[in-house]
Amino acid sequence: MDAAALRRAASAAVIGIGGLLWLSAILFMAQTAQHSEQFSRLHPWILMINIAGLVVLVGLLATKLGQLVRDWRGHVIGSRLKARMVWTFGVLATLPILLVYFFAVQFLNRGIDSWFNVEIRQSLDDAVTLSRAAFETRMREHLEATQTLARELEAAGSAPPGLLERLRRQAGATEIVVATDSGAIVAVSKGLSSDVVPDEVPGEVLLQVRQGRPFVSLEPQAEGGYLVRTAVPVGSAAQGRGRMVVQAIYPVAERIAALADALQSAYQQFGEKDYLRRPLKASFILTLTVVLLLSLLAAWYGAIFTAQKLVQPIQDLVKGTRAVAQGDLDTRLPLTSHDEMGFLVHSFNDMTKRLRRAREDQQRAQQAAETERANLAVILARLSTGVVSLEPDLRVRTANPAATTILGDELEACVGRDLAGLGEGDSLLRQFAEACRTRLAAGDLEWREQFTFQSGATRRILMCACTPLPGEGEGEAPGGFVLVFDDITVMLQAQREAAWGEVARRLAHEIKNPLTPIRLSAERMRHKLLPSMNEKDAQLLDRGTETIVQQVEAMKEMVNAFSEYARAPRFEMADVNLNQLVHEVTDLYRAQLTGRGVTLEVHLEPAVTSVVADRGRLRQLLHNLITNAVEVLEGHPDGAISVATRLALRNGEEVAEIVVEDNGPGFQRELIGQVFDPYVTTKPRGTGLGLAIVRKIVEEHGGRVEADNRAEGGARVRVELPLNETTRAQSVQRERRAEPRRERA
Amino acid sequence: MLVMSNSSHVPCRESHGSRGLRGTWLLCFLATLAWPAHADTILKVTSASVALDEGVYELDARLALALPEAGRRAIEAGLTMRLDYEIEVARVRRFVPDADVASLVQSYELSYHALSQRYLLRNLNTGEQQGHGTLQAALDRVAEVTIPLLDSALLEPGSTYEFRVRASLNLRTAPDTLSWLLFWTDDWSATSEWYAWTLQR
Repeated sequence: MDAAALRRAASAAVIGIGGLLWLSAILFMAQTAQHSEQFSRLHPWILMINIAGLVVLVGLLATKLGQLVRDWRGHVIGSRLKARMVWTFGVLATLPILLVYFFAVQFLNRGIDSWFNVEIRQSLDDAVTLSRAAFETRMREHLEATQTLARELEAAGSAPPGLLERLRRQAGATEIVVATDSGAIVAVSKGLSSDVVPDEVPGEVLLQVRQGRPFVSLEPQAEGGYLVRTAVPVGSAAQGRGRMVVQAIYPVAERIAALADALQSAYQQFGEKDYLRRPLKASFILTLTVVLLLSLLAAWYGAIFTAQKLVQPIQDLVKGTRAVAQGDLDTRLPLTSHDEMGFLVHSFNDMTKRLRRAREDQQRAQQAAETERANLAVILARLSTGVVSLEPDLRVRTANPAATTILGDELEACVGRDLAGLGEGDSLLRQFAEACRTRLAAGDLEWREQFTFQSGATRRILMCACTPLPGEGEGEAPGGFVLVFDDITVMLQAQREAAWGEVARRLAHEIKNPLTPIRLSAERMRHKLLPSMNEKDAQLLDRGTETIVQQVEAMKEMVNAFSEYARAPRFEMADVNLNQLVHEVTDLYRAQLTGRGVTLEVHLEPAVTSVVADRGRLRQLLHNLITNAVEVLEGHPDGAISVATRLALRNGEEVAEIVVEDNGPGFQRELIGQVFDPYVTTKPRGTGLGLAIVRKIVEEHGGRVEADNRAEGGARVRVELPLNETTRAQSVQRERRAEPRRERA
Repeated sequence: MLVMSNSSHVPCRESHGSRGLRGTWLLCFLATLAWPAHADTILKVTSASVALDEGVYELDARLALALPEAGRRAIEAGLTMRLDYEIEVARVRRFVPDADVASLVQSYELSYHALSQRYLLRNLNTGEQQGHGTLQAALDRVAEVTIPLLDSALLEPGSTYEFRVRASLNLRTAPDTLSWLLFWTDDWSATSEWYAWTLQR
């Protein structure tokens, strides 16, 4: 049993014992009037217990009413209903109680007053007066007899025993005492039925007799019955022997005495009750009032209790409903009864139980959806494919990091923005958004297309697909769109490179081999035939064979270049002092360029120490870049070539940068994105493989290369190379990982 | 010294008959408990002594006794006044509590006999009854008593004895059926202080 249950049990025990004590006190108080011998001493205590009980009940009721008022003012749920019920119950109980009380008090007052009405009092007074009159007649006769007796004694001059006895018999007295006026007995005559010891003369008798007045009185006896005591003076002080007193006592007949006793008893009891009439009424009314207050307070307390019992389930229901409304579906209401309210509570509990199950199911489904969404987000984040979802009104709903990477703008920050307002200038994002918006605005909701965007030096080829999202209802407008796009620039480039590599390999194999016999044959023809031919024919043959030899050489060079392009690299990676290598290569060109009127400037940043690279391949890279610039500047007055090295940051990593610039005509704008593709050249004698080999070498080293035009004119090629092996390996690995995905895309 | 041992409250007793009394009973009762008693009755032992008479110690006690008008009315209405003399004798000991030797309660009842118009004073110990023409005569009589107390042989020579006496006055109804109501009326009941003196045997 828990503490709360113990407290409830203790409270119930205290209330039960207190209630029994109080009820007993009330019953005792009611019994007091009928069995006062037993309860008269307890009466104050009983009264006090009742009043204390009333005080306690008043306190309890005041507490309950105070709580009710506080609840009312605090707008506590159910307080108004409870107050109305308490008021109704209380009034319904109070009115009959007050009515009964009023009539009970009236009946009580009138009933008690009727006991002591004037007629009874007057009758008793009359009876007493009548009895007194009867006794006074008899007493007067006895007094006269005593006076006669006294005169005879006075005439006799003394009180001989025989005379006194005779006189007593004649008067009918039971006792005659002759005494001095101070009370000293002189002579006595007693009847046989009286006590031997004479009754002394009381002081008040002597006092009255000394004043010369006779004394007579009716005296009730302790053992019952009455006597008539008479006393008269005998003789006078003038006679010289002092005044004497004769006291004669006469009996009263038993029948008369019994009647007198009965009358006296009735008179005394009536007087006593009459005297106690007011406290009797007050006590009865007090008892009635206590019972009334008890009933009244108990009725109000019961009204509050009953109202509380009736309202409690409603309060619980309201609280439970609010709790459910706030999402607390664990709410369970106590089932306190099996009536309609109990059925309601049971239904509520059943409802919350079902709701909780439904919510749990929903939570599980939501959790599963969240998990799926998280998984999807991870997948989307890891995808190299850009995924952008749009609202039906073409506002960006979501975008994955790959989209940002491909389009070059922070697309995730554009969530919520209209597709038409994305990007600035000729940015890839703007071109992409415009292309998609145009298709969607044209009503083409599901499509797949390859876009090529050019933004400055950056060229992107995107394969984009659009799919509408299902709407909320069948046949409704789409709930949005999903744009899935992939950067296939590298893939296409790789495909081209692979194709050109295959072409180069075939060229090297199929063309290079016949070139040597052709050349040898041409030279043999010239050697054999030239001496035997006339001058004219000789000149013709000489020019012809010379042309053949030159073209064969040219083709051989071209084939060698293709062979070099297609050759599988064999790396010997080592730390290469980049500045030193640049210095060595540029020195080779310095004298040649000086003769052509081209200046070569070299700017080497001392901080660039070494890179991890294949020295030979890197040397070839530099040769290709410088040769490309030299060929561009051929015939260009005041040509200038600049080669510089410096440190730069790429994705948070330091890289070595090689920048080769010239002041030539620069790249054609439309070819800027393709200058590194094989066989793309604007030079009349170029093979179109120089920059392609440069890019291949750069990619082999995990670097990157860019080509663009300088603002002041001329071309600029920028090569970034990783500084150490780790960075290089990561870049190469990243590049290799990206390529298959792009191919799949 | 005037000593009252019971409580009294005049409004409770004198505002009888009015309907307002019903509503004020509760307050009156609480006030009766809380407020000091109102003094009307005089009850005091003014003198007391013992005298040896033929080997018996007799107590002579004198009271200052005066009843209020309410008491007189109650007696004349038929209620019985009871006066008790409580007498205790103890041997004084030096280092231990005194030893009780004897104790006696001498009771008198005073009532009015309407038919004979006499006030009857009854010694409840002996059954003797005396009639008095006036209430005051009866009161005077009961205020001066001589009571045989104890045999001198019960007192050890050389010892010191403490005598003490007090009187108590209250009402009773002739039949006891209404005695519980006296709680509301006998506010003139009283108990005197102890009157004590010592006797060297």
